[in-house]
Amino acid sequence: MSVIRRRTRLVALAAASTVVLGVAACGSDEGTGDTAGGKPDKLVIETFGEFGYDELVKQYEKDTGIKIELRKTAQLNEYRPKIVRSLATGKGIADVVALEEGILNEFKINPTNWADLTPLVADHSKEYLPWKWELGKAADGRLIGLPTDVGSLAVCYRSDLFKAAGLPTERDQVTALWPDWDAFIETGKKYRDKTGKGMLDSVTTAASAITFQVGGDIFYDKEDNVVADKSAAVKQAWDTSLKMVDANITAKTATWSPEWSAGFKQGTFAATFCPSWMLGIVQDNSGPENKGKWDVAGVPGKSGNWGGSWLAVPERGKHKTEAAKLAEWLTSATSQVSAFKLKGPLPTNLEALQNPEFQSYTNPYFTDAPTGKIFGGSVEGIQPVHLGPKHQAVKEQAMEPALRAYENGEANAAAAWDQFIKDAATQGAF
Amino acid sequence: MVAASARLWKTSPLTYIALVIGVLASIYPFYYMFVIATRSLDAINSVPPPITPGDAFGANFQRVLDNDAANFVKGIVNSVIVSTVVTVAVVLTGTLAGFAFAKLRFRGRGALLLLTIVTMMVPTQLGLIPLWGMMQELNWYDTLYAVTVPFLVSAFGVFMMRQYATQAVSDELIEAARVDGCSTLRIYWNVVLPALRPAAAVLGLLTFMDTWNQFLWPYAVLTNDNPTLQVSLAFLSYAYYTDYAQVFAATAVGTVPLLLVFVFFGRQIIGGIMEGAVKS
Amino acid sequence: MALATPARPAPSPPAKPHRHRSTRGAKRARWDMKYSPYLYIAPFFVVFGIFGFYPMLRTAWMSLHDWDLIGEHTFIGFDNYAALLQDEYFWNSVVNTLGIFVVATVPQLALALFLANLLNRTQLRGKTLFRMAIFVPNITSVAAVAIVFAMIFQRDFGVANWLLSLVGVDPIDWDAQRWSSWIAIAFMVDWRWTGYNALILLAGMQAIPRDLYEAAALDGANQWRQFWRITLPMLTPTFVFVVLLSTFGGLQLFTEPLVFGNGNMRGGTQREFQTVAMYMYEKGINSLNTAGYGAAIAWALFVLIGIIAAINLAVVRRTVK
Repeated sequence: MSVIRRRTRLVALAAASTVVLGVAACGSDEGTGDTAGGKPDKLVIETFGEFGYDELVKQYEKDTGIKIELRKTAQLNEYRPKIVRSLATGKGIADVVALEEGILNEFKINPTNWADLTPLVADHSKEYLPWKWELGKAADGRLIGLPTDVGSLAVCYRSDLFKAAGLPTERDQVTALWPDWDAFIETGKKYRDKTGKGMLDSVTTAASAITFQVGGDIFYDKEDNVVADKSAAVKQAWDTSLKMVDANITAKTATWSPEWSAGFKQGTFAATFCPSWMLGIVQDNSGPENKGKWDVAGVPGKSGNWGGSWLAVPERGKHKTEAAKLAEWLTSATSQVSAFKLKGPLPTNLEALQNPEFQSYTNPYFTDAPTGKIFGGSVEGIQPVHLGPKHQAVKEQAMEPALRAYENGEANAAAAWDQFIKDAATQGAF
Repeated sequence: MVAASARLWKTSPLTYIALVIGVLASIYPFYYMFVIATRSLDAINSVPPPITPGDAFGANFQRVLDNDAANFVKGIVNSVIVSTVVTVAVVLTGTLAGFAFAKLRFRGRGALLLLTIVTMMVPTQLGLIPLWGMMQELNWYDTLYAVTVPFLVSAFGVFMMRQYATQAVSDELIEAARVDGCSTLRIYWNVVLPALRPAAAVLGLLTFMDTWNQFLWPYAVLTNDNPTLQVSLAFLSYAYYTDYAQVFAATAVGTVPLLLVFVFFGRQIIGGIMEGAVKS
Repeated sequence: MALATPARPAPSPPAKPHRHRSTRGAKRARWDMKYSPYLYIAPFFVVFGIFGFYPMLRTAWMSLHDWDLIGEHTFIGFDNYAALLQDEYFWNSVVNTLGIFVVATVPQLALALFLANLLNRTQLRGKTLFRMAIFVPNITSVAAVAIVFAMIFQRDFGVANWLLSLVGVDPIDWDAQRWSSWIAIAFMVDWRWTGYNALILLAGMQAIPRDLYEAAALDGANQWRQFWRITLPMLTPTFVFVVLLSTFGGLQLFTEPLVFGNGNMRGGTQREFQTVAMYMYEKGINSLNTAGYGAAIAWALFVLIGIIAAINLAVVRRTVK
């Protein structure tokens, strides 16, 4: 340490003009987790995708007088390194951090990075879906995350485009179109014949849905060995995805790409797989002018869960008690219901799930689809799936690129598979 | 004589047409950026692309300002601080060392100058990873020190000032000052620095623009809490990928200061670059 | 590498003793003459030593380790380098870097030469304005350029595909294939640097004595012949300078392909446009625990730049002469 200090001083001497920098904060304020000294001026909450917190934080600001800075990053692949770095350095660290199921286990490897919430919040252990609550605990028993949402599965579709393609538009009839994946592909073919366009946005959203639908071990076994090459879920998702590409039913728009976000507005595709949290993203991308054109139908095959998150408080945060209170409030029954109504994340709080306001909710943007009933009805049946530490990395950096390469015609099936397995091994290492 | 060269270097209408095409290609992306920045969200999706500006700039930029997490205003302030400090330091250290290399005699001068030149060829990325680690150890991560201190000197600056000083500062003047009993530091301040002013100004402008535009390193060591302008832009575009109007409004605002610098000093900058090219 | 350095300054003759009024003053003056120069060059060497040279050495040291930037490290000798030579993705990034470099640099230099030749006409009106206009792309930040060009090269609504559609070309999915992504990235690079290089070449052209042309004209050589016989050969040193600048910049290419690929360090689904610098960043900074491997990539990049610079020099010298 003293060597470092000395080096600092040397550098400071060498560069006399740094004095000018006196105005700029030089970080010596190590976060000690010292929460004495009352209310913080500001709490920072770091999220990805769309949590539906915009209105909630405003309310919290009004109620408590604490300013809330809501940070968003669209994609997990940008989000994850940012969190890793802030944990490692203690800089730019948020007070409350959202952790998605695909990255949660990686962060659980070092549980001491996270504050144990048990002493900081009231006992809520009986108030949430039991498996969801349990996953928020690390191996050493500390409670690191309060449950926000689960994904569940549905299909978002554009009824106006379905109509133009001569397909049914009413949601029950649409669900009836695809009792299984083969039927889904057949529908896509009809759509292509009629319109010349791809029905589904991209093969990768379907692949995600299928892996979670099949469940069991996905990329890792229970001992966290990478088993992507022999997993049944992967096999089924892979084969079905390839069939979709061969049947040419996708619009080849990579998720999160500019084409994809513009595609919602322009009708480049007519359907995408919608876990509940995706509703807000579909809505934001499609814009107010497309209100009433989207609707929500069931998925081919059985139900499943894709995604969902927890709110955690970094150990090095400066206001852990207040941060925990904020997380507790954001995951409460009433907050979960209002987040759901705003952007779609599906409650995990049992009281929220029983709330009549939730159950009877119809989403005006999605042609008044009874999303409370559609998603809420499937919640009970969700079985937890074991995800390894680098689940998200394997999914985003190994499986999806390989599938996209096949979709774009850059690689044949065998080459794409080899690429996937090779990348899965490197990406999955931890 | 004049007539002869005029004949040789005829300027036909084709010359102008070709140049105007080149100019349009140079300007169009800027124009496109300002058009999208002033339009509502849908403009980016329209085919053919919009060619006239709209009136939504205020609303678009307001969203940037309302965006706590992007910290845009702080980004601009930080960029001004960092660029200014780096510029002043590079000019001072560059002229000082340039003067020493050009006009003072000392053992090892040739070897040290050669060393300076060689360092210009070392790719900056070679030290990137350990430098990141060093910022950690120094506790400079997410502070302006991290994006300032390592850039306070520039081999290019030293070399450029040395080249210029060799010609622009007369030995007689230095000799005269010395006979008057001036120390070398006084000579630097009273004789050399004034003579180097034009070249130093160019070096300063180039350094300022370069620092303002730095992206890779600041993005690796700064966070939302304390970004520079370019880092703030990156956070905006990753989070608000659906709101191009907002991202473009921020990008346009971040480009304006440099355009202003260029409008006022472009002639000197170009002169400096062209002169530097011939000398080195 | 030292080939590129300008003529070395002549070894300095020993300082002549000066006559001074007082011995004390003389002593001080002598001390001043002898040691102060070191003081003046010291800031550069100290700061560069700490933040330039030392990290380089540390990169070398790290590359011999299995190194976690925020954790443990163990010495493994040259294992990282051995692994690198076997690493398909590393070679892929080398191919991409060189490919994009060629696709970007060749047309860029040709265009810059063409523009410089136009700007070199004596009777040209609005010289300064033209010069400023072709240089202006160079003042924008790479981040801004990349954001704007990423839009221009969108598949479904980008300006590039719209222009192509006017001449009947089907929309191109720019980031889905190697060749198209390279072209798009080359466009960004060239947009930013062609004007700059044109100005440097123009400076070189203006330094060529006019009477050479006049003599050639009297011999009946036309403009093209003059260009080939006089301008190009005389421009060699400047051209070498420009080629080297492009080499250093081009081989370190990072931000353009990164933002073009939506911010993904992978550079395309099949790493179609992942450059060496991006691969280094992916291994060294994005995943902190493979920093040692990243460091090995950094040194490999350094060697690559050295080799290519040497080859370029040889080629340019031979062909132009």
